[in-house]
Amino acid sequence: MFLIFALITLVGALMTFSMRNLVMAGLSLVLCFIGVAGLFLLLANPVAAALQMVVYSGAIVVLVLFVIMLLASHEEEEPKRSRPIQRWGSVAAIIALGPGAVLLVKSSPFLASSQVAPPMEVMTLHRLGGLLFKEHLVAFEIAGLLLLAAMIAAVSLVKREL
Amino acid sequence: MDTLSALLHLSPETFWMIVKILVVFAGPLTIAALLTWVERRGSAMIQDRIGPNRAAIFGFRLIGLPQIAADGIKAFLKEDLVPAEANKVLFWLAPLLAFIPAVLGMAVIPFGQSFESGGHTYHMSLLDPGNGMGMLFPMAIGAMAVYGVLVAAWSSNNKWSILGGMRASAQMVSDELSMSLAVIAIFMTAGAYDPHDLIQAQYGLWNVVPHFLGFLVFFTCMFAETNRLPFDFAEGESEIVAGFLTEYGSMKFALIYLSEYIHLVVASALIVTLYFGGWRVPFVANPGPWLSVASFLAKTLFFCWVFVWVRWTVPRFRYDQLMKMGWKVLLPLSLINFLFHAFLMFRRG
Repeated sequence: MFLIFALITLVGALMTFSMRNLVMAGLSLVLCFIGVAGLFLLLANPVAAALQMVVYSGAIVVLVLFVIMLLASHEEEEPKRSRPIQRWGSVAAIIALGPGAVLLVKSSPFLASSQVAPPMEVMTLHRLGGLLFKEHLVAFEIAGLLLLAAMIAAVSLVKREL
Repeated sequence: MDTLSALLHLSPETFWMIVKILVVFAGPLTIAALLTWVERRGSAMIQDRIGPNRAAIFGFRLIGLPQIAADGIKAFLKEDLVPAEANKVLFWLAPLLAFIPAVLGMAVIPFGQSFESGGHTYHMSLLDPGNGMGMLFPMAIGAMAVYGVLVAAWSSNNKWSILGGMRASAQMVSDELSMSLAVIAIFMTAGAYDPHDLIQAQYGLWNVVPHFLGFLVFFTCMFAETNRLPFDFAEGESEIVAGFLTEYGSMKFALIYLSEYIHLVVASALIVTLYFGGWRVPFVANPGPWLSVASFLAKTLFFCWVFVWVRWTVPRFRYDQLMKMGWKVLLPLSLINFLFHAFLMFRRG
């Protein structure tokens, strides 16, 4: 099951940046998000899976696609001249950073502790609410404040004269 | 139950699972197919016409019911046209993207009271209670429904289609907010979000009485979510031809058309579960499996009829009127509903 969802996520992500067509890329992003939602389910967190579907694939990508469709051109422009150095640079970066990232994850102390830990309790909306409003209240409120500020900024940018 | 499953050489759990899958997938499909007929005959009745009554099987007209089969056969046999400039892959994918979320929507909704037989408890919903998804599942699936419309619209490469698709997406996103707030108020007062618990909590008093404002908001949003008149802006004969469906024909059209009716059935089932006590029967504490299923079916069919009824009696809104209503009327109303119930709970302690 993990492999299926991981593959869905990876294929979605790969298609997102390899598609020339912007709308196709946006739809691949949805595929990627659905894979991530499946992974959340496997982690015994159906609430996060549902919210991932509602918020990310349901609302945010719809808005992104909405904007893409408003644009005249749906195709990515061809570069004026090709820059092979970018390709080789990215390959070199993958070779350099990939093993490092794998080693970093492998050596993390959490991995060792999670293998002996008993299976997690299923996350419910009750537990999530308790966590947000009791243990992480300050962080939650700050995040809310940040979002409010971003919203006001967006409105004031769009509406020059109120 | 045990004897039945023994006859089929299956364990009772497997047998019940197969029954549930059949009911949850075939049930809405059947009702949706019937609804296409109900819509045509109902509209004819409301507008003082006769409606389709010519299709017949061996000379029996059966008040026009063979029309459903006739439509299906026609859709199968028609030539399958794909516009030359269309995006072929997405054009084929769109009907599936519309259909799959539609049939998945019923999976958590209990269609009857859980019962015990031979030492097992059988739940009448595809996903048993305690799955952790609860009512979040139909909302997550409902959020995916917009892609069917959006992909169909864009892949047709037609300006009317794109206009229809953009309207649909803007409308669905803006109405989802007020809908969710109305539902959250129910989660809050019931202290649960699993549909089984929500129906348990409606013992004695259906949610529609304390949550009347929330019901109005949810009901209105359901019209927008299912793309039904008075909010059917994805289509619109007089403005953008058939909207996102303009380029669709034959079975692909039939699939999208059918999934709209399945959405309607699921929306009715959601309204019944959230606000009208699900399978509960008035003045009966424990209706038992048969009566509870009949009660759920009766309520759901009633709301399906209300959707048809409203379509042929209420005039269409204008697009900007809908957006104004979504953000300036429905959202404040559901916020007021939410705060009112939060205040009541706070007062009660």
